[in-house]
Amino acid sequence: MNALAPDDPPPEAMIELQQVTKRFGRRTAVEAFDLIVPRGEIFGLLGHNGAGKSTAIGMMLGQVWPTAGVVRVCGHDVQRDRRQALARVGAIFETPAFYDYLSGWRNLEIFCQYTAAVPVQRLHDVVDWVGLTGRIHTRVRTYSHGMRARLALAQALLPHPELLILDEPADGLDPEGIHELRQTILRLQSELGLTLLLSSHLLSEVEQLCTRIAVLKEGRKVFEGTLAEVRNTATRVRLVTTDFEQAARKLREAGLIQHVQNGARLSLAPGVGTDEIVRRLVSWQIPVFEIAREQETLESFYLSLMRPPANAPAVAPSLPRL
Amino acid sequence: MSRYVTPPLPAASWLGAFGRQLRNELWKLFGKKRTYIGFVMFLLAQNVIALVFKFTRASGPMQRMLESAGHTAEAFISVLTIATVMLIPVAAFLLPLYVALVGGDLVAKETEDGTLRMILARPISRARLLAVKWLAGAIFSVSLCLALGGFGLLFAGLHFPWGGLFVWMPEQGIFGVFDGETGLWRYLAAHGLLVTEAVSIMALAFMFSCFNVKPAAATILGLSFIFVSFILEHIPYFADYRDWFLTYHLHLWQFMFAERVPWWRFGQSLSLLAGFNATFFAVGLAVFHSRDIKS
Repeated sequence: MNALAPDDPPPEAMIELQQVTKRFGRRTAVEAFDLIVPRGEIFGLLGHNGAGKSTAIGMMLGQVWPTAGVVRVCGHDVQRDRRQALARVGAIFETPAFYDYLSGWRNLEIFCQYTAAVPVQRLHDVVDWVGLTGRIHTRVRTYSHGMRARLALAQALLPHPELLILDEPADGLDPEGIHELRQTILRLQSELGLTLLLSSHLLSEVEQLCTRIAVLKEGRKVFEGTLAEVRNTATRVRLVTTDFEQAARKLREAGLIQHVQNGARLSLAPGVGTDEIVRRLVSWQIPVFEIAREQETLESFYLSLMRPPANAPAVAPSLPRL
Repeated sequence: MSRYVTPPLPAASWLGAFGRQLRNELWKLFGKKRTYIGFVMFLLAQNVIALVFKFTRASGPMQRMLESAGHTAEAFISVLTIATVMLIPVAAFLLPLYVALVGGDLVAKETEDGTLRMILARPISRARLLAVKWLAGAIFSVSLCLALGGFGLLFAGLHFPWGGLFVWMPEQGIFGVFDGETGLWRYLAAHGLLVTEAVSIMALAFMFSCFNVKPAAATILGLSFIFVSFILEHIPYFADYRDWFLTYHLHLWQFMFAERVPWWRFGQSLSLLAGFNATFFAVGLAVFHSRDIKS
C-alpha cells in the first residue's frame, strides 16, 4: 500500500532529525540520532524503556530541548519556528491527561484553542468520528480508559493534522481496545492521508501497521528500514539433505555457517548466501533436496538487535546486600 | 467522511486568540473545587467575626477608645467598622494563603497531572502560555479581594447598622475616624490596593510553580518567602532597610485608612511592587523556558 515505485519522486519528510543528541546531566538519552519520516507513512519507533523514544518525541514536539542537532517537523525547525512546525501536528501520549473535572467537550475546546479557533461543527464532526457523541458532555472522570483514548484522538485530530505522533498509545488498553486502535490508525492513514509516527512496545502492532521502523537502543539508532528489509535479514536456512550432520560439519569447517539448530537449520555466516551453500555441498557430492531461507519476524529481529554483542562481558547477577 | 474535512476558520487575531486562551484558563481554574476554598473560608471567618462582635462584649474596648477620643461610639460600631475589623486579619493571614495556593498550582499542577505535556504539544509559545496563566491568577486574586470586601459588608450588614468608620492599626500608627460616605470610599479604595498584595503573592508562588517542583512546594516556597520577608521587616535593627522587603510594600492598602493618605508612599510602593511582579514573572519565564517537559 505504501511501497513507492522506483520512479516516484522522493517523499517530503514530515519529520527530520539530523544528528540530534540530548543529554540530561551526564546521562545521554539520545545520541547522534538521524531520522526521516516521509509523508504518508506509518513509521514505527521501537526500543526498550529508557531507550530514548519519548525523549526523541519530546524533541519533535518542542518539549525537550536538544543538546545538539536539528529537529524539523513539517519542514520547519521546531526550536526556531515552533508555531509553524506544530501547526498541523497532533499528538497522543501513553496516558492521555485531561481536566477530569470538566466535560470531554470542554476539554476539546481548551486544547484546540492552543492551536487555533475551531468551528463548533468541526468539534461535532471529530467527536462523531471518534465515536464519543453520546458521552461528550459528561465529565472526563467518568470515562473508561478506552473513552479517554478516543478523547485523546479527538483532541489530536482537531487542528486538521497532517502528522500524528503517537507515543505508546496502546498502553493500558485491553485487546479489544488495541484492535480498535489499530483499525483507527489504518483509517487515519487511508481516509485522511495522515503521516503517523508510532512509538510502541507492541511489536505485533508495529508489524501489522508500520511500513518503516527505526530501533533505538540506549539512545542510539541501531536500525532503520522497511519491514520488508527486516524480514530479509534472516540468516537462518532450512536444509534437507541425506546427511545433515556431515553437511553442517563441512560447512562450519569452511567458515560458511555459524550455528546449527534442531538438526535441520543453519545460521549462515555474514555475507554468505544460499547459492554459495548449494555450490559447496554439490562440490562435496552431498545432495541438496531443499534449501530455504526462513523469514525473520519483527520480534526475533528486534530481540537480536537488543541482545548484547557476543564478545560483551557477561553480567553476573548481583545478590542484594544484607 | 466528507464532514470530517471541515475547513479551518480564517486566522483569528492575536488578541482574539489570547482572549479565548484566557477564557480557557478561567474555565480550568474556576472548574476546580479547591479554587473555592478561599471564598468559603472567607465566608466562614467573616461570619464568625460578625457574630462574636454581635453576641459578646468584644466591641467594649472599641467603644471606650472612641469615647475617650470624644466620639459617640454607637455611630461608629457600624457595618464599615466591623467589615474593616474583619478585613485586617483575613487579609493578613487567609488571603496570602489562598492566592499562594492558586499561584503555586497554576503551572506545577498541570506538570504533575500531565496536561502541560498535552498543551505543549500544541504550537503555543511558553511565554504566551505563562502570560495567560498569570493573568488568570491575577483575575482570581481580584475576585478574592472583591469577595472579601463584599462578604464583609454583607455579613456585617446583617447584624450592624450603617454608620461611620473607625479604624485602629497601632502597628502602622493609624487611628482613623470617618463619616459613612468617606469611610465607604476608603474601604473600597483599600480593597483596590489589597489587589496589589494578592496579585504579588500569587505572582511569587506562580514563579516557584514554573520550577520543576510539586504544586504544594511552590505554595510553601511562596509563603516562606513572605514569612521570611515579614520577619526581616520586623527585626528592629533592620528598620532602616524596611523598604527593601516585599512585605513592607504589601501593607500598602492599610494606609488608605490613615487620616492623611500618604500618596508618596503609594507611588513608591506601587512602583516597587510592579518591579517585584515583573521580576517574578521574568524569573519564572526564564526557568520555565529552559525546562524539558517530560512525562
